[in-house]
Amino acid sequence: MTKQYAFFVDAKRCIGCFTCAMACKNQYHQEPGVHWRQVYPLNEEIYPHRERAFYSLACNHCENPTCANVCPVKAYYKREEDGVVVHEQDKCIGCGNCIRSCPYGAPRYNPVLKKAEKCSFCYQRLDAGLKPACVQSCPVEALQIVDLAEFDNPNAVQYPAGFPRFTKLNPSVRFILPEQPRMVTRSDV
Amino acid sequence: MKTHTKECVGQALSNAFSRRRFLKAMAASGALACLPGALLRPLTAEAGIVYEGDYQTFRNACPRNCYDTCSIKSYVKDGVLQFIEGAQESTYTRGGLCVKGYAYTRRPYEPTRVKYPMEQQGRGSGNWKRLSWDEAMDKIARKVLEMQEKDGNLLGLGMTKYSGNFGITNYVVEGMMSSLGYTTRFTGTPCWPAGIDAQNYDLGNMWCNDPEDFPDARYVILWGVNPAWCSVHSMKYIYAARDRGAKIVAIDPVMTQTAAKADEYWQVKTSADGALALGMARHILDQGLVDRDWVDNNSVGFEEFASYLRNNVTVDWAAELSGVPAERIKAVAEEFATAKPATIWIGYGMQRHVNGGATVRAVDALVAMTGNVGKVGGGARYGHLQTWGFNYHAMLQKQPEGAKGVPGKTEVKGDFHFTGDQGEVSYSDRILNINKTAQEILDAQDPPVRMLWVSCKNPFSQDFDRNKMQKAFDKLEMVVTVDNFFNQTVEQSDIVLPVTTLFEEWTINASYWHYWLSINEQAIKPMYEAKSNIEIAAALSKKMNELSPGSCTFPTEVDTKEWMVKEFNQNIYDQFGLESWEDLREGPRKMKLASSASWSTLEFGTPSKKYEFKSELCAEHGHKALPEWKEPREPNAKLRLLTPHTKFAIHSQFNNIDWMQEFNPRPYVYLNPQTASERGIDDGDTVRVFNDLGEVTIQAKLTSILPADTIMMYEAWFHANPYNCQNLVDDTAADMGSYKTGQPGVAIHDQFADVARV
Amino acid sequence: MSMELPLVVFTVSAQAAIGLVAISTVRQFAGHGPLGKIRQEWLFAAAVLAIGLLASLFHLGHPLGAPTVLNHLGTAWLSAEAVGAGVLLAVVAVAAFTIKGGVNKALGIIAAVLGLLVVYFMGMTYSPPSFPAYNNVLPFAFFLLTAAILGPALASYFASQEKQAMLARWLTGALLVGLVVHLLAPCIWLSGGTVMRETGMAFVASPLYWARIVLGLALPLAVMVRMKSIPVWLPVLLVAGELAGRLLFFMYSIHTASNLGGIY
Repeated sequence: MTKQYAFFVDAKRCIGCFTCAMACKNQYHQEPGVHWRQVYPLNEEIYPHRERAFYSLACNHCENPTCANVCPVKAYYKREEDGVVVHEQDKCIGCGNCIRSCPYGAPRYNPVLKKAEKCSFCYQRLDAGLKPACVQSCPVEALQIVDLAEFDNPNAVQYPAGFPRFTKLNPSVRFILPEQPRMVTRSDV
Repeated sequence: MKTHTKECVGQALSNAFSRRRFLKAMAASGALACLPGALLRPLTAEAGIVYEGDYQTFRNACPRNCYDTCSIKSYVKDGVLQFIEGAQESTYTRGGLCVKGYAYTRRPYEPTRVKYPMEQQGRGSGNWKRLSWDEAMDKIARKVLEMQEKDGNLLGLGMTKYSGNFGITNYVVEGMMSSLGYTTRFTGTPCWPAGIDAQNYDLGNMWCNDPEDFPDARYVILWGVNPAWCSVHSMKYIYAARDRGAKIVAIDPVMTQTAAKADEYWQVKTSADGALALGMARHILDQGLVDRDWVDNNSVGFEEFASYLRNNVTVDWAAELSGVPAERIKAVAEEFATAKPATIWIGYGMQRHVNGGATVRAVDALVAMTGNVGKVGGGARYGHLQTWGFNYHAMLQKQPEGAKGVPGKTEVKGDFHFTGDQGEVSYSDRILNINKTAQEILDAQDPPVRMLWVSCKNPFSQDFDRNKMQKAFDKLEMVVTVDNFFNQTVEQSDIVLPVTTLFEEWTINASYWHYWLSINEQAIKPMYEAKSNIEIAAALSKKMNELSPGSCTFPTEVDTKEWMVKEFNQNIYDQFGLESWEDLREGPRKMKLASSASWSTLEFGTPSKKYEFKSELCAEHGHKALPEWKEPREPNAKLRLLTPHTKFAIHSQFNNIDWMQEFNPRPYVYLNPQTASERGIDDGDTVRVFNDLGEVTIQAKLTSILPADTIMMYEAWFHANPYNCQNLVDDTAADMGSYKTGQPGVAIHDQFADVARV
Repeated sequence: MSMELPLVVFTVSAQAAIGLVAISTVRQFAGHGPLGKIRQEWLFAAAVLAIGLLASLFHLGHPLGAPTVLNHLGTAWLSAEAVGAGVLLAVVAVAAFTIKGGVNKALGIIAAVLGLLVVYFMGMTYSPPSFPAYNNVLPFAFFLLTAAILGPALASYFASQEKQAMLARWLTGALLVGLVVHLLAPCIWLSGGTVMRETGMAFVASPLYWARIVLGLALPLAVMVRMKSIPVWLPVLLVAGELAGRLLFFMYSIHTASNLGGIY
């Protein structure tokens, strides 16, 4: 298998602190309302306590990326060396087709540039031997970068509850499910 | 572009533009386009992010009131801050910050920042008029001289300051006051005083293990502390402890994010933690699991404590008071007592109660009786001030010749008061209680507090009983606030002075939790007309001396970097292994610790030099000598009201920043679905939270993380939002705090309210 | 929730024009009798298509970059759609200008087939995986129905008297199928996964949906059944109905990403 970088989202460790999302904003200064990475709380049907378990998600750098397939101007390409899906903004004409089409909502509309944009896996940082800004920022190592060619964590899942299943896209992201503590709630209320 | 910039700034600022109109004008003309140097242009994924030496880098440090006090590396290009990251050199932060820290990049350029000295035409009117620094200083200086003239002293000048910026050089605000004369100071701390006293009675000081030794613990109890939100960098050590086999227990009235990550979570009844600790202690005693060796060699008063437990405490009693089943109390007590080392992290919320100090003493006792004090991976962890031995040069200024104040000597105390005895004096400052700021202003006479100088603090958001605070402010003749943003205190001020952000000033930052020291370099030139607190003091001194030579001893010309250097001394250099302060430009340094454990020599700071289960000093100060159970405050409304920290803010800072409001756009009151359904409240409904003090109108969020008798709102200030939880929090004192911090703490979590649909 | 007005105008216009040229071609070559105002009809179709294409440019952040959409004919249906619609406009325009008595047969057939192909491209463009309710044949069906309804309806303005009854039959049939499909679609969605169900609920809860069903489909159907011919006011109502339906299509297209962290 060729090298394919992926985000490893360890929801068991994740504390939902939003540091990764803000670290991304700190690096790229997205326009107001535009986030390349967002931290999604899990619905109570999945984790019984509201806003206590999260998935931090950005672009999944899919094996078969919808954004690249639907882009009429070929503004997307997938890097051969590591599978990172890159959006070339100077080619983008702002048709919004990728934004509509990506089932994971990775491409976002930049209302000022009138173009799409999305998580680039910080490929320039990768090329400079650095971790992506979000990965570096995570205070609990709940967000990591892994190479799927070598990744073999038996506890990891690709499509946990709360993350839509699109096998044709084969999103490059793996999850560890959140756990609950032994709950000792008050006997007097 | 240049002409355009000039034009629009000029237009925006000419005439008596109100702030609102000013901001509107900025927004209309494209606020960013108006800023010098076309700041903070959004970067595209491909545009110009090059990592090889394309940036100037600087060392900064987060100066907020936070465990983590992160060391920051800042990347600057063309004089504009581009991005920041955690200093890689610190093993504590490991190159990362937190959600608040990463929002700093926006802070200097945030469109709603206070940019110039401004005067408000009528407090609360929002009708702000720009002043020059000279005009602002002139108005202030004349008021100071007028008070001196009228009262014969400057006790009418009050100063309130606390933790808004812990950079060491910011103690210049106190220094500036001293350089004017004897003034009125609000002392004490709303933060952690009862626990500080408790630890001082038990151990002789507040001194915690290095948090980096959590992985050595075999058992960790996180008691009333939420590091997942308030000390994110500590979490990895707690996870490391678990990865090495330790059990993690979280005890909290709220199922916090930390509790969700623990192995076991106890939903303790608020303010019953002391009973729980004593119940555990009783069971450990009954099971013969007391570390006799340790207790015999290193403590005094254990037998009295044991007999108190036998006569007054049972596990069932503890279970009934705390709501935690007896079976779990016994099981965890046994596990805790047999795992070695075991540690408890004592949070600050637990001591914000009328029985808070007593509670911390009970928890301390639990750690001590199991022999876990003084051990690597053990300890009753609360905080420390081991790395704060600076010169406080900025603070230690002389009063002008002939200045008068309160006759005689008044002992000044404070958690961060390190200056020691100043020798015999004829006059002193007037000391008022910071935890009763509103009441103290209302009560102060001869002279009344005429003028208030607010810096590094936001009393309207953080002090108690907002309605009373309004009455107190109404009594003040002049309010000057030094801040970055037009917060709710600035709204109630006459003059606002723009202060530098961390990137625009020189200072030093130490932590009260970990053992790292960071320098804070000036990374960018101050934006607009912002000045550091040192420069503000110099500017005021210049004007004072212009109007009345000799009326202020503060230097009129300062170099802020030199002032930063003046804070260092040989002890600091030795402590951190520094040749000079310049070494810190290579990255933060950690104190050279003999052991990661506090009290590793087992020589305690108490009068007996031993751990004192029985503290005569504590009894002398009007408390029980033993860590006995103390009754909590009687409820005065149906529901317990908690107002803890949110992950998106530290007190009233950060949540107003536009970047942050994107992730956390509005406040909520959180309530259990049962509490809600009894009141006909649905998720998302607008509700009124009310008690005798006031009310808050807010959206409801239903959640199982709270018990049915408790509601919660996070303390925070949102830009352009009147939300303020202090409408509902009174200034009832905690039991301890006076001994070490000068004033008792405040029972922030002994508050009650009810909620109804609007 | 975005109204995507340029896309509403573009898709409805293009489909109306396609319906019109297809109907016109069929009418001309599959039946006997006078052709009616055929040149005006094709010019009208060309104009409507041109307006649609123009409207589509307003959807772009950078309209001047529109020519680059040719770049990705390989996999991007949007490229195919745009190129198809452009070529179609050229064909229809040439056909309109070369009318001598009737439309050039080859051009007419090319236009009709290409039109259907463009509707197919559109169906593919607007059925991405991100909209579970649409990630199927439904968008194509919706679009084809728009062409099938507006085609005969608009043709009634141009066709000869002799052919009005045929148009009326076609319209009646299209309306009947349309009513069934548009009533059934939300029902199918309501039995699907969370996001599909949300789409169904959003449709059913929207007054626009019911207005579109009643005024755009049921009422016209009743009129057609009763009158057996297309009254002159009806196409206007039908255009309004289709525009409303398309607005609905874009406004309530619930995206999978809106439910991240939830049950799918």
